[in-house]
Amino acid sequence: MIFLSRTLPVIVALCFGVLGIGIYYVPHAAAQNLERELALWLRVVFAFSYLLGLYSLLNLHWQRIRQRVEGWGYSAMVYVGFGLMMLFVIHNDGQGPFAPQAEGTAAENGYQWLFEYVQVACSSTMFSILAFFIASAAYRTFRARTPEAALLLVAAIVVMLGRVPIGAYISEYVPAAAEWLLNVPNLAAKRGILLGVSLGAIATSLRIIFGIERSYLGGGDE
Amino acid sequence: MQNKPLSWLVGLVFLGVIASDCQGQDAQNGRGSLPLIDNTEAFDTPNDAGNSITLTWARPRSIPEGGVYKAYIAESREGPYYPASEIAGGTNLQSEEPETFGYGDAAWDAHFIHIAEYAGGEGVVSLQNDKTYYVRLELHSGNRSTRAPIVTASAQGNYFNWKKLNNIVLGGLLSFLILGFISLARHRDLYIRRIGGLEALDEALGRATEMGKPVLFIHGLRDMSQISTIAAVNILGRVASRTAEYDAALRVVAPDPVVMSVSQETVQASYFEAGRPDAFNPDHVFVAGTEQFSYAAATEGIMVRERPAAHIMMGYFYAESLLLAETGSTTGAIQIAGTDAFTQLPFFVTTCDYTLMGEELYAASAYLSREPKLLGSLKGQDAGKAIIIAAIVLGALLATVDIPFLTHVFTPH
Amino acid sequence: MIQWLMNIDRRIIFVFVFLGVALPLLANVFLPIKPTRDVIAVYDQFEKVAEDEGIVLLSFSYGASTEPEMQPMARAILRHCFSRNIKVVAVCLWPEAPGLARKVLEEIGDEFGKTYGEDYAFLGFKPGNFAVVLNMGQDFRDAFPQDNWGTPLEELALTRDVRTLRDFDFVFDLAAGDSIEFWWIPYGQEKYGFPFAGGCTAVMAPDLFPFLQSKQMVGLLGGLAGAAEYETLVGRQDKATAGMSAQSMAHLIIVAFILFGNMAFFLSRRR
Repeated sequence: MIFLSRTLPVIVALCFGVLGIGIYYVPHAAAQNLERELALWLRVVFAFSYLLGLYSLLNLHWQRIRQRVEGWGYSAMVYVGFGLMMLFVIHNDGQGPFAPQAEGTAAENGYQWLFEYVQVACSSTMFSILAFFIASAAYRTFRARTPEAALLLVAAIVVMLGRVPIGAYISEYVPAAAEWLLNVPNLAAKRGILLGVSLGAIATSLRIIFGIERSYLGGGDE
Repeated sequence: MQNKPLSWLVGLVFLGVIASDCQGQDAQNGRGSLPLIDNTEAFDTPNDAGNSITLTWARPRSIPEGGVYKAYIAESREGPYYPASEIAGGTNLQSEEPETFGYGDAAWDAHFIHIAEYAGGEGVVSLQNDKTYYVRLELHSGNRSTRAPIVTASAQGNYFNWKKLNNIVLGGLLSFLILGFISLARHRDLYIRRIGGLEALDEALGRATEMGKPVLFIHGLRDMSQISTIAAVNILGRVASRTAEYDAALRVVAPDPVVMSVSQETVQASYFEAGRPDAFNPDHVFVAGTEQFSYAAATEGIMVRERPAAHIMMGYFYAESLLLAETGSTTGAIQIAGTDAFTQLPFFVTTCDYTLMGEELYAASAYLSREPKLLGSLKGQDAGKAIIIAAIVLGALLATVDIPFLTHVFTPH
Repeated sequence: MIQWLMNIDRRIIFVFVFLGVALPLLANVFLPIKPTRDVIAVYDQFEKVAEDEGIVLLSFSYGASTEPEMQPMARAILRHCFSRNIKVVAVCLWPEAPGLARKVLEEIGDEFGKTYGEDYAFLGFKPGNFAVVLNMGQDFRDAFPQDNWGTPLEELALTRDVRTLRDFDFVFDLAAGDSIEFWWIPYGQEKYGFPFAGGCTAVMAPDLFPFLQSKQMVGLLGGLAGAAEYETLVGRQDKATAGMSAQSMAHLIIVAFILFGNMAFFLSRRR
């Protein structure tokens, strides 16, 4: 069991890690074909992961309904929503689940209607809440407590105004200043973080490829 | 004697054929006003998978306006020759492709084209590997033209991409440093600076235990193939060990089924190691939603309903970061975030108690375990960073005085 | 009073933000917009494709949540393509994208009287993120052997000769996630070397600036502002331009609250 759960995954990580790095430098068709094959495998794994996610989600909410935990009604709604969407997918405008997706606008196609008028509406609403939260977070945190904070505050205001048309009304220099702030100091900081992150990624990859870091396989390192 | 004029005529025709094939000629009017095409060469295009050849020739001193180079290709010297490529007179200088032709001055005095296919009699034909092709280059301007000698080449697949030589050398150097420091760490104690966010983890977990409330671990949105997710799982392993030890409840939400499975394994193993296998409940590690905002909404619901004492947000986050952190801050929970998502850092910094920035996320696993091998890799990273800083400073200075050597060394191709 | 100003209930801020966004949208105010360099670069690249009578690949990598920000961008880009007779092949790399992509393609296709299969094609969604991009570069039909409705690509006039990503004159990704930075650039543009640009949500735009400087991206449309600038270039003001007045007002409100908070903060410190 230890071989299957610890040793074999480390060997797989080592082989595919080294292979992945090697392929990057070998342009020969044989290497490219291997890469193509690996990419296809990855896509198959991705497709299966959707099934795993579906199982996890439905199982979790089934447990909640079964145990009547607080708010189990919401879990029931998950089943209602899933069932309804599934029903339209299987019906597929009378063509069945194995035919290609039926054409038609939201008015003609139930699945399209649910997507456009339920999912898009709900998701857009969630995204739009960001505007309110950003306003409240900015108000609470942008205080000029120190000279650095004051500098940050001024930069934030210039960028906020410079990125919308009203900035140009105030002064033609506002959009130019906003662009400079984004392209010079902001980018310098971004590059600094990016370099650190990339080095960290190299180190973590090496630790995984050579089996030094194994906690992602579950538990400790040994 | 009677045959003399005829032999002269045959001789002239023969010379003409040779000239048309080998010397270049003004095909239309013979006035010789177009420049000759010199130093024509054809060879396998380097650093590729094959099926392509490259043609190079010297840049003439001047070229008439509207001049066009046309390359024709054939499978035998006699032809038929098919059109393969056409470029405007002054374009495709070798200096435009330094990764193949280098940065020297010579690259400004020569042209190139890559030929991968040609317009055959029955449509587009791709070049085949290991087959000899005959290439004829012509310069056209108005109704005049001139030809270069026919050259031959065959395409081949290459085993190493020399354009990436700088990449493999730099990558190798950084890897060597990291592995070297890992090896060094086995024999020597290494110092690493204090990371506030990680020090606070114990405080957060202790507080959850005291309050009898759960700890909520929130994964970022990216899948298991990403380093930030692996780093988050590493941290989860440590967090689970502590919660098992303190007997605090742990809830883990993931947006991806594979991340969930790995997290379940990790938490289970940590509970086993802590001698508390009975306390592990697989239902406490779950997919809260696979879509960004469904995931955010479900997680916010847990924050508001279950009121965890601590929220630990680790991984790569997008726009949901502020939704999660702002909602979390209203519940009064202690919040620790760690992300390498540059654009989301400001949101976490403003709404969380502690934030692990960028590579601190990757360092967390080493920091928490204090294992020499892992600490060594952190030191290796620092050494790599020192080299990069030195290269940036030196490169900027050299580029300022118009010596771009170091800039070229670091240019990706 | 000062304490109140320093700790204004967040619901009051929410009300102001709501009014600041809703009123300009209801009043349908259009503010003049000046296109920026990176947006003009995208426009010019499409113009170049139009001159060469080329074909572009549009990748839809966004979902329902970012529809208000991304769909106006897709609409403006497609209007430009179809008005200049550029052929468009559309693919989806996000599971939620097909419904949105199909809608906008059909809407703008009908507006310009375009024929499916000849002027544009819709190939639907494939899971696999970067692996799909890699496959498209190696063999386009490995990734997308048929269109969204099961027609093999060989049977569509538009896609008959498409064999790899290199066969496109321009690739444009509409992204709400990391598809530009982590899928298209490393596994597509960097590997296969085609002209590439993208449009993304406003918050992501700073992440992509380095790729503009390294020329891995021709240009960038950042958020609703980028979409509004593109609408201006295309000469058809639509939802993005209308949205910019609301966004301007929202930004002004946030700035005003920040200033109030700081004034109160300084007054409290003086006391």
